[in-house]
Amino acid sequence: MLRVSNLSVEYADGTRAIEDLSFSIEAGESVALIGANGAGKTTLLLAIVGVLPPIAGEISLHSSAAGPDEQKNAPAQAARGAVKPELVLTQRTGKDTLRELRARVGVVFQNPDDQLFMPGIYEDVAFGPRSFGIEEAETVQRVDAALSSLGIAHLADRSPLKLSGGEKRLAAIATVLAMKPDLLLFDEPTAYLDPRAKRNLAQIVSGLPQGKLIATHDMAFAAETCSRVLLIREGSVMEDGPRDILFNARKLEAAGL
Amino acid sequence: MPDAGARVRELRALESLAAGRTAVHRLHPLAKLVASLVFIVTVASYGRYDFIRAAPYLFYPFIMMALSESPYKLLLSRVLIALPFCLFAGITNAILDTTAAFTLGGVTVSLGIVSLATIMLKMYLCVMAALILVATTPLTELTAQLRRMRAPSVFVMVFEMTYRYVGVLLEEVRSMIIAYRLRSGKKKALEMKHMGSFAGHLLLRGFDRAERVHAAMCCRGYSLKHIPPARRRIKPSDIIVMLIVCVPSVLLRVVPLY
Ligand SMILES: Nc1ncnc2c1ncn2[C@@H]1O[C@H](COP(=O)(O)OP(=O)(O)O)[C@@H](O)[C@H]1O
Ligand SMILES: [Mg+2]
Repeated sequence: MLRVSNLSVEYADGTRAIEDLSFSIEAGESVALIGANGAGKTTLLLAIVGVLPPIAGEISLHSSAAGPDEQKNAPAQAARGAVKPELVLTQRTGKDTLRELRARVGVVFQNPDDQLFMPGIYEDVAFGPRSFGIEEAETVQRVDAALSSLGIAHLADRSPLKLSGGEKRLAAIATVLAMKPDLLLFDEPTAYLDPRAKRNLAQIVSGLPQGKLIATHDMAFAAETCSRVLLIREGSVMEDGPRDILFNARKLEAAGL
Repeated sequence: MPDAGARVRELRALESLAAGRTAVHRLHPLAKLVASLVFIVTVASYGRYDFIRAAPYLFYPFIMMALSESPYKLLLSRVLIALPFCLFAGITNAILDTTAAFTLGGVTVSLGIVSLATIMLKMYLCVMAALILVATTPLTELTAQLRRMRAPSVFVMVFEMTYRYVGVLLEEVRSMIIAYRLRSGKKKALEMKHMGSFAGHLLLRGFDRAERVHAAMCCRGYSLKHIPPARRRIKPSDIIVMLIVCVPSVLLRVVPLY
């Protein structure tokens, strides 16, 4: 459902953080994005949603007829006539396509403090649907569903500043789930978490039906949540294959891990 | 350097008030925006010696704070920040304008003193009205409303970003000060010779944070060009409350009672 082809991304200062990188993710598939610090994981995730524009290559998002969300909502979607079009992101993609893309691909940032910016959790989770113009009644329903599916409905009225690391992480995930994305991008989801919170998170992430790309260097977490591994180094793919790569010390070492 | 941690908490406290559920909070943002604007403009339009005539407007902040269950101390502490500026502006009048206005218990009060008091009163009322608006309306609702009213987008953006950015910056100050103190032995204050590099770092870190927060907002559909649709229609009750504020404010200004 997601295809990245020959993508290159450069920062303003000339740093080429992603270099001719290609891979794809099928609907409902979970892929671990493994790489050392500075390998380009964060850059890649931000490029996929067009926050960082590509200098070459393209990213395309296909309508996934077999996607889990579509199956559940198939009658409702057909009624609204909402068959999602294919989206293509290149150097010249316009604002409308970007908005559509961001509605369909959710990013969970590395630091929840960057992501939670509203006074209360409820308002924060509602921010996405509201800015995409979802009706208030449906927004309320989505917020409730997102919070309770993560077991944090009781945090709705709390301030993001008064939550534990684990609670903040779940709240950040809820803000993204409320947009009903087809694909989820996680940037180092286990950062700032203690072992118990990590185990809890692994269970929750495994249970999410969407396609996932999870940037991490936590091998145990990757092994538990992903079936495929994309090993990157200096902005290029080193290995793309089954989970076994996680246990191949030689390959990991070659990637600088 | 003042305790930055306390400042952050104070700012956030004001922000978190907006998540309340009182009748004032539930009013339509348009009604609150218009009422606040009318109130502020009316108060500001009083002349420099109109202390007595502007005094009845003091009812407004007290009634609003009571209805919205806003903590009086918190709002007052924010007003106090603006006080020195007005004092400075007014004090020159007080010194220069010594014409007698009236005598009170044998003490002659000059017109300069009256104008100083009037400036302070007007300032207090206007800042209070703005604070109450912010404390009872989530920022995103306010800015969305401003955009629907076709306010210039640059203006809305500066407002939004200042509001977000101050918090972000103060958080950076807090963590940097903590890290500094831990390494600087028992000295509490920032030493002068470190001030420059501290400020430079702070600025860069602030930009960095602001950029990430902005990216996160964009990922969830934030954009300047996009005009968010109204979340709900304005109801007759919203309009009635709006008029209850606006009509007496304007009448009191226009009709010379005394
Ligand atoms: N804002 C930036 N400006 C310039 N270079 C950057 C910026 N952000 C990251 N980089 C560089 O891009 C490369 C990839 O960084 P990043 O994607 O953050 O790596 P990772 O998330 O895998 O640790 C690094 O060499 C880093 O120094
Ligand atoms: Mg990173």
